[in-house]
Amino acid sequence: MSSSPPEADEAPDLVCRLDSVQGMVDALSSVRWKRNQDALVEISEHGIVLIVEEAGCLQAKVYLKRELFLTYEYSAEGRPRFGLSLGLLVDCLNTFSSPGHAPVIEILYPGPDMQLILKSVDSVDVCIYAEIRTRIADTISWDCDFGPSRNNPLSFTIKTASLKEAIDDLEWPSSTIQILLQPEPSSVVFKGEGHGDLQIEFPYYANSDLLITFQCDRQVSYRYKYKFLRATTSNIAGSVLKDNRGSKLTFGRGGMLKIQHLVSVARPGIHHPHHSDFSGLQQSARIAYIEFYVKPEEDE
Amino acid sequence: MKFKASLTHDGVNLLDRRFMPALDKVGRICHVYLTRDHAMFLHNLLNGDGVQCVAQFDKDLLFLDYRISSKNEDRIAFSLDLALLHRALRSALSILQRQGGCDPRDSVGSPLQIQIKLLKKIPAGSQQPTPFLSFETKGHKSAVIHDVPISRPLSRDDVMELQAALDMAQQLPQTLVQVPDLAQLQNLVERLKNVGDLLSVSITQYGDLHLQVSTGLVTMGSEFRRLRVLGDRADAPQGNQNLTAASRTRLAIERGEAQSVQVSMKHLSKSLQCHSAKPDCAYYGIAPQGACLTVIYQFFQPGTRQMDKSISLHCRLPVLEPDYA
Repeated sequence: MSSSPPEADEAPDLVCRLDSVQGMVDALSSVRWKRNQDALVEISEHGIVLIVEEAGCLQAKVYLKRELFLTYEYSAEGRPRFGLSLGLLVDCLNTFSSPGHAPVIEILYPGPDMQLILKSVDSVDVCIYAEIRTRIADTISWDCDFGPSRNNPLSFTIKTASLKEAIDDLEWPSSTIQILLQPEPSSVVFKGEGHGDLQIEFPYYANSDLLITFQCDRQVSYRYKYKFLRATTSNIAGSVLKDNRGSKLTFGRGGMLKIQHLVSVARPGIHHPHHSDFSGLQQSARIAYIEFYVKPEEDE
Repeated sequence: MKFKASLTHDGVNLLDRRFMPALDKVGRICHVYLTRDHAMFLHNLLNGDGVQCVAQFDKDLLFLDYRISSKNEDRIAFSLDLALLHRALRSALSILQRQGGCDPRDSVGSPLQIQIKLLKKIPAGSQQPTPFLSFETKGHKSAVIHDVPISRPLSRDDVMELQAALDMAQQLPQTLVQVPDLAQLQNLVERLKNVGDLLSVSITQYGDLHLQVSTGLVTMGSEFRRLRVLGDRADAPQGNQNLTAASRTRLAIERGEAQSVQVSMKHLSKSLQCHSAKPDCAYYGIAPQGACLTVIYQFFQPGTRQMDKSISLHCRLPVLEPDYA
């Protein structure tokens, strides 16, 4: 669905303000696994969702809920959708942030020519702006029907840094990666078979620093293309690794893999000494959710 | 044709720490132009394309015992590789420091012993005498000579042409606006480089500087308002502040109170490298008829807001096409 250009006296579908451009850049960059990548943006009263996909086998979603914004004025009916270049959006956002300065930017859609308009609003004497051309949204070629495989979903949570390191290491055998979950002994095994064999095992009880949670009542094993697995961590923001966050991997029906990352969209360097609990709560609420869906390889 | 002088403390520091790194980034090869009163480093004055950059120093700022003579009104010009010149300066400095000689960074007042002169030598394996700018550094125990190869000195006609180009380059735009935060501008341009190669620069007589990059997919820009204006100025029309940056600029051009040109992003980025010379402020202006974008850097006397007239640095960026023509 795409909304029509606004009349002169009509409010735009969305006007919102953001004070953490870098957080937004981090979140969006996490799903930018190649330079030129088209994205679909959907706006609703709950926030903004950006969707990227490749070859019908890999899909990524960035959820920017309305609480991440300083203000969020939504006036559309239905859920406006539009397409744009993800790379361009990230490059434009990057232009707003400069070392030692966290600008407040306003995001407006649609502009007079259906553009997405970004502009800095924290100074009357210096204004940076960007007008990004949007296009009519493509339909999503696959809807990742992610139902749990049974009543007890199979999942584990692992430190994002460890997951990234393991996937990076598996580049050597490359090609296809098998992920094996077994209850006895509780562990996750990544296996690469190609030019050589490499197996990386994460035992649950032995090292709780790596594997934070583990839920598995039967042994399962699925195979995924290495390049798709790699895309799920290759551009993960440095702040995620530095914050020592975890990523949750869940296996759905037929082995569909969901990987969830959390990216902080908090404004850097904010301290509220008198309301530390409240600000801590606020800061923890300022998280962008990133989800990747990876289809398993078909068994031959 | 003779040239011989000793470098001053201030001169050697100024060149080593500030001007050599800046000028080297503008372009590795430049003309050195010496007259009775000034020493200049000139980029792209004789070949039309590229950023023209003129750095001029009073002879007394750089040199002691400045002696120059030529049949061409005591003017000498040649081209050289700035990286080699910088290397010679650094090696001369390091020799003085290592040998416990005078440290030009600390011991203000002690005699510096870096002498430079023009000479011709026959290099090993060659029959032809080759011109060099020779640095002779005298420490307590030894003297080291570092020869920087230079081009053949320019002919009388070429020097005349260089002087004419230099005179042309001194023409001032009618309106200049002062950019107070050079780091912010440099940072912005570095990021705009990712968006496109061509940049529209508009300057109004109200003190607005508007930079805009536009491609088929995105228009991105930045407007700096209420800057200090030198030269022709006007009051901004009523209601002007409620417009978008692009509308404001268009209106100002229609009223004849602004000019706009398109320059290469690469050229602007190069001219911003002059910030390594640590200027205290910069003025931007567009030459009459949109001939070029002029950037004038200003230096203050240390510890004051008084302009240091012994140094001048400015760049002229070629205009790709007048904008909104």
